[in-house]
Amino acid sequence: MEPSLFAPELIALLGGLLLFGAPLLGAGSTTNWRLAIVIGLATVAGAIWTLPMSGDAFAPGIYHIDAFSQSVKVVLALGYLLVILGAREPLTLRAHAWCELPMFLLMATVGMMIMVSATELLTLYIGMELAAYPVYIVIALHRNPAVGAESSTKYMVQGMMASAVSLYGMSFLYGLTGSTYFSAMGVQISTLAATPLFWFGIVLLLSGFLFKLAVAPFHFWAADTYEASPHEVITFVASVSKVAAIALLCRIMSLVIPAGSEAMGLQSILMWFALAAMTLGNLAALRQSDLKRLLGYSAVAHAGYALIGVQAMSASGLTAALFYAVGYGAMSLICFLVIAAVGRDQDRVAIEDMSGLWQRSPGMALVFLVGLLGLIGLPPTVGFIGKWFLFSAAIEQGQFMLVLVAAINATIALYYYLVILRQIYLVEATAEAPAVKWTPSLVIATTVGSVIVVGMGVLPGAAWDLAALAVAALLG
Amino acid sequence: MDALPLLSAILLSPVLGLGLILLVPGGAARLVRWISLVSATVASLLSIHLWHSYDTASGGLQFVERLPWVEALGISYHLGVDGFGTILVMLNSIVYLTGVLTMWELTERVKGFFGFMLLLVVGVYGVFMSQDLFFFFFFYEIAVVPMYPLILIWGSGNRDYAAMKLMLFLLAGSALLFPALLTIYHSSGLGTFDMVLLSQHHFDPDLQIFLYPLIYLGFGVLAGMFPIHGWSPTGHVAAPSAVSMLHAGVLMKLGAFGILSVGIRLLPVGATYWAPTFTVLATIGIVYGAFVAIRQTDFKFVIGFSSVSHMGIVLLGLNLATLGQAGDDALNGAVFQMFAHGIMTALFFSTVGFIYDRAHSKTIADFGGLGAQMPRAVSIFIVAGLCGAGLPGLASFWAELLVFLAALKTYPLVGLVIIGGLVLTAVYILRVFREAFFGEVNPRWESLRELDLVGWQLLPRAILVGVLLFFGFFPRALLDVIDGTTTTFLARFWMQ
Repeated sequence: MEPSLFAPELIALLGGLLLFGAPLLGAGSTTNWRLAIVIGLATVAGAIWTLPMSGDAFAPGIYHIDAFSQSVKVVLALGYLLVILGAREPLTLRAHAWCELPMFLLMATVGMMIMVSATELLTLYIGMELAAYPVYIVIALHRNPAVGAESSTKYMVQGMMASAVSLYGMSFLYGLTGSTYFSAMGVQISTLAATPLFWFGIVLLLSGFLFKLAVAPFHFWAADTYEASPHEVITFVASVSKVAAIALLCRIMSLVIPAGSEAMGLQSILMWFALAAMTLGNLAALRQSDLKRLLGYSAVAHAGYALIGVQAMSASGLTAALFYAVGYGAMSLICFLVIAAVGRDQDRVAIEDMSGLWQRSPGMALVFLVGLLGLIGLPPTVGFIGKWFLFSAAIEQGQFMLVLVAAINATIALYYYLVILRQIYLVEATAEAPAVKWTPSLVIATTVGSVIVVGMGVLPGAAWDLAALAVAALLG
Repeated sequence: MDALPLLSAILLSPVLGLGLILLVPGGAARLVRWISLVSATVASLLSIHLWHSYDTASGGLQFVERLPWVEALGISYHLGVDGFGTILVMLNSIVYLTGVLTMWELTERVKGFFGFMLLLVVGVYGVFMSQDLFFFFFFYEIAVVPMYPLILIWGSGNRDYAAMKLMLFLLAGSALLFPALLTIYHSSGLGTFDMVLLSQHHFDPDLQIFLYPLIYLGFGVLAGMFPIHGWSPTGHVAAPSAVSMLHAGVLMKLGAFGILSVGIRLLPVGATYWAPTFTVLATIGIVYGAFVAIRQTDFKFVIGFSSVSHMGIVLLGLNLATLGQAGDDALNGAVFQMFAHGIMTALFFSTVGFIYDRAHSKTIADFGGLGAQMPRAVSIFIVAGLCGAGLPGLASFWAELLVFLAALKTYPLVGLVIIGGLVLTAVYILRVFREAFFGEVNPRWESLRELDLVGWQLLPRAILVGVLLFFGFFPRALLDVIDGTTTTFLARFWMQ
């Protein structure tokens, strides 16, 4: 065992313990928050430090460190840091939750890091659960107990069902191969691919992840949870969790891509999931008046777009999915940071609450504009180039109609995004609209997020090469 | 070939202007205007230099710049202009400069307006210069984006509806382009988005026939093609003057330019196959646009539908070019018309906007004898109107003549129908003149006497009138630049 390979996880775990102990030793909310930022920075640094490393962190075949896992960990750690920067005073959480929020989100981040490195089914499962439980808890810490209990229960029940389905799928894979190691499955892939039960197991395993990613028809939790969760928590769920889920899908795909033409059945199943997610997500979003709920449905649609790259089952497809996941994470993050700042003292944020934002806070309106342009998929943001890469990967597989439907979907989505923009830039704010607080930490977080969104859109070369390197490591 | 990367310099002047505007505090309206004006002037001077140094004798692609961008996918920042690109870059510079001058008196949210306007201009320049399919589409989308806020925030009348309709139409067009462009890339097997290399590739004829209508309709939306032009007149009407100028003047040309340099250039077999169908649609567009314009009660709607009609001439020329009999004339005419129509509609909207700002009315029936009250503004409007009617001595005459001759040679019936369309054009233009400018003086507008164009306000309109007259009397100055490109373009076309 090489501890340095484990650096980002180790830093985050120790940091979690510190965040647990600090309030007991009398640290106030500001100290605690600053500590969380320092830990976030240290985790990012640890992940960057291990970026060029590769190898097995424990016994061989359980926990793999490579360009793929480490670059995703950099993104996850950075995402955590930005979420915490925006969570200075989480008013929608209970009064004392300032000490729980950074710690639990950090634990969830560690879980995601374990997920992307796991190359063995049980480790993967532990990572999944570690990523999920802390989020169930912090959602329940909503200041309004009724709201918190409802959204947390919905999220938890459906999430646990998803885990159970995944576990059921894992049991098939174990039964067929007699091993929980991915490497063991890789060796037998040609015989396994001829067994329908193997594909049944893989589809069940994937269903669990698609549940977490809110891909239709497993998307029912998304809108309710987005609408009624504390802002800071949903910022995390809408950005960091998505990156982890898509990275994990890439990992599973790397397992079945060697099966070659035998995997075509899986491809068509995933294609229908993608189509259903895009279409249902966009159509449902058209009718929403609650902003967070609307973005919840938009997240369903975007999961569908990302799935286009995953189902292409090619190196370029996985690279595009990974690239888009990071880009989408950043777009979603900045949108939610702004929403959290605008409606910081409101349980729910309606589209009307954004009225006249350009006058109340021109900077924040600009950030939201960048985020929305990205979500619409217009240049010069990563939303445009990301879709270009995804669609390109699908056309490479000859899926012309899929791309056409996806592009038409993007046009449908345009409508509800423009309705929000109109509210921000055209409608005058009502007199009693509360002032928007632009704290320095929020400026930093939104600026970094916007720079990623625009930077990856204007100069995608470096990010693409990095993603391609990661996928190359993944596919061996 | 000079050392200065001329095309990048032209592209960068609005980019730098935009960057500076973002840095200026919101209240400094004066500074924002001056930044815009300086960047527009620089771009215009560089464009004149471009036109001047474009070597018409050798023709072809010149001022080529190339930098790898995403090497793994064959995307490169590849700029270059042929004769068509050169004059369209010039067109954009003229409309940009006169647009800034037209909006000089804007007081509401000045920083945002000029910021979005410069972004639009960047996109348009980029499309006219790009030789890489990805960047072509990238800039195309950049040009479309700012239309929404520009119409929504600074527009008038039914702006909510117009802005949303425009965006939905245009992005629906992009939805067709997305899969089509990517299929071109993947089916070539060259692993590059370089349009020069792609244009030398022979695509499978069946694939061309499948893809061409997607490209034609996708770009055709922006060109105001019948029957998917619905967004265009409402958008024109609701937009503020300079945005209408850019929108009708250059943005619609992007659509036609896309059909030409992606559709016809890369998919010649598909273009020839579909040309008869699209010829019929373009002809209907010409006559239909003129017919509808006759019945309009609003100045801007008249011009909006006249644009549908006039862009029909461009599309007709492009289709006839692929049919062979009079391809040279048709293509020369189509490109000439892009330029002439751009200048002409810019002049129209610049002047209508001026009258509207003073009178707060665009309804034709409200006016009467306005010529006596605002002689200068009305005279300029009349110049634009006569140009629209194809009067000799103004630039449009040559463009329309070339396309009509080509039409008569290729499909005599189409030729006769569009000559009928020309008569209708004269009807709607002269109707506006009679009802609004001449006849009984309406005393309601007495106060406008002091508000006619004065001093520098004449400048943008004078530039546009000057350009129209110049190319009306010296069409060779323009034809020389495009003719060489037309010849090589069609020679390559028939080789395939």
